[in-house]
Amino acid sequence: MSNLHHDDHNHVSHDHGHHKETFISKYVFSMDHKMIAKQFLITGIIMGTLGMAMSMLFRLQLAYPDMKLPFLESIIGQWGKDGKLDPNFYLALITIHGTIMVFYVLTAGLSGTFSNLLIPLQVGTRDMASPFMNMLSYWFFFLSSVVLIWSLFVEGGPASAGWTIYPPLSALPKAIPGSGTGMTLWLVAIVLFIASALLGGVNYITTILNMRTKGMKMTRLPLTIWAFLLTAVLGLLSFPVLLGGSLLLIFDRSFGTSFYLSDIPADLAGGIERTGGSPVLWQHLFWFLGHPEVYIILLPALGITSEVIATNARKPIFGYRAMIGSILAIAVLSFIVWGHHMFITGMNPFLGSVFMLGTLIIAVPSAVKTFNYLATLWQGNLRLTPAMMFAIGLVSFFITGGLTGIWLGNAALDINLHDTYFVVAHFHLVMGSAAIFGMMSGIYHWYPKMFKRKMNETLGQIHFWLTIISAYCVFFPMHFLGLAGVPRRYYANSAYDQFNVFIDMNQFITIAALLGGAAQLIFLWNFFSSIRNGKRTEQNPWESNTLEWTAPVEHIHGNWPGELPTVYRWAYDYSKPGAEQDFIPQNVPDPGQVDEQAEPNPTKFEPAKTPVSPVTEKDSVLFSVVKKWLGFAN
Amino acid sequence: MRIITTVLRALFIVSLLSISFTSFSQTAEEGEKLFSANCTSCHAINEKVVGPALKGTHTKHKEEWFIKWVKNSQKMIKSGDAMAVQLSKENNEALMTSFENLSDNQIKSIIAYIKAESEKPATTATAIAGPAVSSDSGTVGKVGNPYTSKINWLLFIIAVLLIGVIGQVFGILNKVSEIQGKPVINWGSINSKLLLVFLIVGMVAAIWEFVVHGKWTVYATDAASEHGAEYDSMFFITVAITGIVFVITQILLFWYGYKYRADGKRKAVYYPDNHKLELIWTVIPAIVLTVLVIRGLKTWNTIMNHRDEKATVVEVFGYQFGWNARYAGADNKLGNHDFRQVGVVNALGVDPKDPKSQDDVIVNELHFAVGKPVSLKFRAKDVIHSAYLPHFRVQMNVVPGLPTQFNFTPSITTAEMRTKLNNPKFDYILLCNKICGGAHYRMKMKVVVDSPEDYAKWLSSQPNLASTSTPAVPEGPQASKSDKVAKTLASK
Repeated sequence: MSNLHHDDHNHVSHDHGHHKETFISKYVFSMDHKMIAKQFLITGIIMGTLGMAMSMLFRLQLAYPDMKLPFLESIIGQWGKDGKLDPNFYLALITIHGTIMVFYVLTAGLSGTFSNLLIPLQVGTRDMASPFMNMLSYWFFFLSSVVLIWSLFVEGGPASAGWTIYPPLSALPKAIPGSGTGMTLWLVAIVLFIASALLGGVNYITTILNMRTKGMKMTRLPLTIWAFLLTAVLGLLSFPVLLGGSLLLIFDRSFGTSFYLSDIPADLAGGIERTGGSPVLWQHLFWFLGHPEVYIILLPALGITSEVIATNARKPIFGYRAMIGSILAIAVLSFIVWGHHMFITGMNPFLGSVFMLGTLIIAVPSAVKTFNYLATLWQGNLRLTPAMMFAIGLVSFFITGGLTGIWLGNAALDINLHDTYFVVAHFHLVMGSAAIFGMMSGIYHWYPKMFKRKMNETLGQIHFWLTIISAYCVFFPMHFLGLAGVPRRYYANSAYDQFNVFIDMNQFITIAALLGGAAQLIFLWNFFSSIRNGKRTEQNPWESNTLEWTAPVEHIHGNWPGELPTVYRWAYDYSKPGAEQDFIPQNVPDPGQVDEQAEPNPTKFEPAKTPVSPVTEKDSVLFSVVKKWLGFAN
Repeated sequence: MRIITTVLRALFIVSLLSISFTSFSQTAEEGEKLFSANCTSCHAINEKVVGPALKGTHTKHKEEWFIKWVKNSQKMIKSGDAMAVQLSKENNEALMTSFENLSDNQIKSIIAYIKAESEKPATTATAIAGPAVSSDSGTVGKVGNPYTSKINWLLFIIAVLLIGVIGQVFGILNKVSEIQGKPVINWGSINSKLLLVFLIVGMVAAIWEFVVHGKWTVYATDAASEHGAEYDSMFFITVAITGIVFVITQILLFWYGYKYRADGKRKAVYYPDNHKLELIWTVIPAIVLTVLVIRGLKTWNTIMNHRDEKATVVEVFGYQFGWNARYAGADNKLGNHDFRQVGVVNALGVDPKDPKSQDDVIVNELHFAVGKPVSLKFRAKDVIHSAYLPHFRVQMNVVPGLPTQFNFTPSITTAEMRTKLNNPKFDYILLCNKICGGAHYRMKMKVVVDSPEDYAKWLSSQPNLASTSTPAVPEGPQASKSDKVAKTLASK
């Protein structure tokens, strides 16, 4: 069945080869997954720069609450009158910073880029299942970005209720300036964003399950693809819940309903008394997406790291099946732990116990992943490329930030840590820095695949060192702010003696953040200048096993000229005894291997004495159907 | 800092003397108290907070206008008072809370205070940046230590210069390698060494942080509540376990990065899996986490399911941007409330006809008796707030329409804590920990833990509702409405 499908595609791609492409069809409304990946990446980088610039502004405020910074007025006008940041605009900045980083950079910019680039190339197909939907996915994302940026310029300013926009603050247009038009546009932007995520997700899942090339069993997929698959599943199951929740919030804001409102007198709520709803309902709906969202961000980064670490350690990833098992476990568990964001909302303490149990169980698969990374490095032959350095950095952040998750996931400890800087430190390390490092690792690693040139290595290494140093200098001290009880989202701590003693630390953090920001300028320069001036790449610059490096350097529509490659082995045969080189690409058969379904010799690069033949045991009908669908049988 | 405060106080007194000592200083002093209790969440003298800066306001408006405005600014705007409408426009039509509970004389004393503050020399005024801060905190660290901030910037400049120099060196090396046709910089070797340096420096810095900043955390002193002891033991167990894992795994990670770099001589070991090893590092974390979960559940359940019939009932009421507390009085039962009655006069919406409410006491400051259990009941007027008392290990969200509570027993008095911390100015606080708007960061309430005798004395000195509410509730639509509400509440 699959053969037939591929031949069909082959034919189509031949037709395309003769088709003349216009600028618009090639660069703007492109349906080629490689171009769409680049569009996602560059939009993500632009949004990321904006989000980072915002963080610089509010960091300056936190470090120098009394200083007048006249340049503010020239950048942000009335919000920085006399060089003082307006408290309401401070809240807007943290809100939009969070929204941009979580959704626009680490969801679309990370998963959108690499799912699009790698899924067809690594499973061995000519394009996504539906290139048109794929294009729509990008343009919905683009539109969403435009609406979000537009909201910065409306009266009252952009949404300012924190990126989690808890009602009633977000539901009552008069509650704060940012709850007016800005909040409406925020909600519109998110609805468009969800449309983009769903269009993308359906496509990724379909492509991975149905369009793998000959011999690409599920158990031979690179871990990147496993991560993208589960990420897409998480998104598909959780984003619609936020969509529903957002629609209800729009009703509350604009049509006088009370889904999230209770005991709100008429004068606060646009002349209609609101009773009977529950503000906590929004939190349930939001975090039902919000928590899986953390893994939507993290899993692709971990997938990229697995691939980069194995390639550059010249070693098979340790415990491939355990790695798949852990991300499966993480994915399933991520749906039953959302309540750990709500321990102190006043929900039933028994419910808190249940959520706490689930949350701490997630630490087990996460620990397995960490130990497997360490075991992969052990006795390896590490090539410390920028991509590899960022991957190692990710593991370090994953450990540091993950361990504090054990503190916060404990409902009892959360009582005093909730909403303090401890939380800020925790998630900026475990999903902020870690995911950004995963993304950077991916960019340095697959840049040659995207732009046919390499990025400058020296600049890459400097970028890495400055970034890891500044990230730790920014986020590590924040733990102590949190332990002193400093709340997050405070415009200044000057009203509190016991917090204000940390003013020196806040200045240190801000300076480290500025340094980190400067380091990203190095990256930006390296990224954009290498598109034209980078060194030309060879076909397989990192001597990697995966299929994307068997495709020609020049991008062609349909990825491979002629037939699609056939896969004979898993993606991690590095340094296998018996082979001449220290890597064996997936499309290379064992000597004498004919049947691509047969497993190659597990220990040596030579013919297995008794070749393993496909499926000999008899399964029940149902079981074999399930197995077949999952790809464990042929 | 203390010198500056003293100088300021001296200046302040001198400026008062120059006018009229007896009458004025008292009013201005009273004004200062009122100002910091009622106004500082939105206003400061010299800077814009949520509301405009108040410096020189006393010259712009007549006293009568001022009084009317403070008592009910909405009414003035609606009545079309030109100055009021203009003021509202200038401030983006932000609503100012009405203070009908303040007497004319009290407002006059606030004006006196503003006048006194406005007339202070500008330099000293900016040094304390608003009376809210100076009155409740002294000025410790307010301006920051100028030397450290200079050192920080110096570090920044040095870092930038260093990066520039390194960049130049690398640029030259790059050119050399281009000319020679082979790489001159061996990044593998540099990186592996840097990984080791980073590990060592990082670990030292982490320990340094624990030593230097650890003592400023609330866990450095005993928790001020009975359940806090249990909380702290859970806390330190978690710190120890995660700390050990942190050190071991980070050392392995960076050590491997150092040790196993490619040197062109070795080949990596082909080692795809080992089920025994994987089983070990699945089971061990599972066991450790089981211990943490069991212990955590126990702590959580003890804290949250704590009930005591004899606990003093106190209602904490949060609004944009401040707190009120309502003590249940002698009957230990809070009077009914209704959100429809929340208004200018009745800020908490307490039903004045309910007999249970007659002995209720509404205050701006929380007092607890040491060793006596309290049951805090939370209520919000407008949006979600969160009542956070870090020293007591207490936090609970304050949600409109959803009653929440937290029961605990304070165990250390304010006086004892002051000696423990060696800080005579220390006060417990309750602060807002859920984003609620522009002045969120100033939304706090002072908390005092007294000896039982002092507590009783304080409580009895506070007027209860029966004594403060004007006996005749004004007739009109509102009154009849409140009657209805009282009836419906009673029928429930």
